[in-house]
Amino acid sequence: MLRPSRTARILLHLANLVVIFFLLLPLFAVAIGSLQSEKSLQANTRAVLPDEYTLDNYLVILTAGEQKGRIFEQTTYLPDNIKHFFRAFANSTIVALSVTALTLALGSMSAYTVVRMRYRWIAWLMQANVVARFVPIIVLMIPLYVTMRGWGLLNSLAGVIVALTGFLLPYAILILAPYFDSIPQELEDAARIDGCTRFKAFLKVTLPLSTPGLSSCGVIMFIISWHELLIPLILNSKPEFMTLPVVIASLVGDVHVFFNLMMAICLLALLPSVVLVLLLQKYVVEGLAAGAVKG
Amino acid sequence: MALLMNLPSLAVMALVLAYPIYYAGYLSVHKVGIAEIRRGVFPFYDWQNYARLFEDELFWLSLQNTAIFTFVTVSAEIVLAVAIALLINQSSLWTSRVTRWLILLPYAIPPIANGLIWNFMYNFQFGFLNRILFTAGIIGEPINWAGNPDTALYAVTVPYIWRTLPFAILLIHAALQGIPRELYEAAAVDGATAWHRFRHVTLPLLRPIIAVILILRTSFAFAVFEEILAITQGGPGDATWVAAWYSYKVSFAPPFNIGAGSASAYVLAMIVGALAILYVKLVYRRIA
Repeated sequence: MLRPSRTARILLHLANLVVIFFLLLPLFAVAIGSLQSEKSLQANTRAVLPDEYTLDNYLVILTAGEQKGRIFEQTTYLPDNIKHFFRAFANSTIVALSVTALTLALGSMSAYTVVRMRYRWIAWLMQANVVARFVPIIVLMIPLYVTMRGWGLLNSLAGVIVALTGFLLPYAILILAPYFDSIPQELEDAARIDGCTRFKAFLKVTLPLSTPGLSSCGVIMFIISWHELLIPLILNSKPEFMTLPVVIASLVGDVHVFFNLMMAICLLALLPSVVLVLLLQKYVVEGLAAGAVKG
Repeated sequence: MALLMNLPSLAVMALVLAYPIYYAGYLSVHKVGIAEIRRGVFPFYDWQNYARLFEDELFWLSLQNTAIFTFVTVSAEIVLAVAIALLINQSSLWTSRVTRWLILLPYAIPPIANGLIWNFMYNFQFGFLNRILFTAGIIGEPINWAGNPDTALYAVTVPYIWRTLPFAILLIHAALQGIPRELYEAAAVDGATAWHRFRHVTLPLLRPIIAVILILRTSFAFAVFEEILAITQGGPGDATWVAAWYSYKVSFAPPFNIGAGSASAYVLAMIVGALAILYVKLVYRRIA
């Protein structure tokens, strides 16, 4: 790009500030909301910053309601799901890690065949994957509920993991295929001349060379699984199998729940994926681009 | 070998993608309510689920709301994404580098948490947005952003745009970096203004990636769910009923009419499926 003039630079700085403000606005809201009491929220409805800050919202969540702190001293009702925060956090972690591992393992094998083995049916499979990526999850929900009910997989983490893995596999394959395609075939050929089987060449040559691709795909799979609401919402109704998004959704419309408590739990739920995205930004960017535009 | 390596993926995808899609179609032509699920027998219902669906005014309203929602979000996203991608491409400005570093943040926010945060932003009595506008002296009375049937549907587009914009910006930014500098230099030598360079060099070269974003974002916006659940739950009245919300409510809220819910989900799938085929033809043509 050509270097902009002085006035243009000032205008561009201003535009950047507007964008940064818009990007951070909801995060300010959730942080400030979580650091005050319901009372201070209601007392002054026009000021941006509260008169006093408190960590009691976090205290209640992180001690599972055992310690109520000053602002919840008088309250008799706390939603049960708030008390399941640690369980839900653990469930979300288990689901996200398992789905990431499974989609990487299965997806890399399929993606490899897509770029290395030119069969007609594999080309068809790839097209089916692209179409499958578009399937709205709501379409799958009803039959998944009925079938999982039949197999006794309702109210289990396994059911959620299987469902989510299948749902995300096409996307994983789309992200991984271009990475495998960029690795020179000659390296594998050399390994095979030395007596490796095709699968072994894939394991020992292609996979180790594709760590950036696997990282990109892995972090995206983790984030999508961490965020997923509908599948665990419909398959699991017992509190011990709820994931974080389900716990959050269960607080919606509960008139007794304080907004500040909800903001605190939202902040705790978004923290892991925000840290992950900021740390692994480069991989997320590459993965998203690879999954959208390359064959 | 190829078959063996694809077997696990194929098995899982058959289980949770192919079979459910087929089964949703099956359910949509059968009578499936709570009583039938208990008995385990689904009587054949012909096209009655669809017939009822097309007679239901709420279904048409949901489709109309979905269309408005999609049109607003997708067109806003494309304009904003091009503008912001050009902005963060100015790597000589330190503010642009900050923006570029932060741009992916919304992608990391769980959609349901995003919905709840904006629920707090929009709150009529003590919402954060009104607080900012009061402090800035822009408004004198609180505005009921999401509680007014005239503005609610537009109010829920903003959180959705906020959350999904990074993806579009990112793709356009990647495409911008692929445009050779020489093209701009040549244009500058010819005396082209900044607007002309954008209009005749940048924009035509961005057209393919804009098409990709258009299709992807349209099909995903058509299935918007979390923000609706967290902010308006379809209300006020039925002002923000969208297609996915309709399928969800009809199936999983009393009277649990799963057959009708499947039929409505199938209509949604058909619309999105058409877009998906367009996408394959446009983007993945090389493989065929």
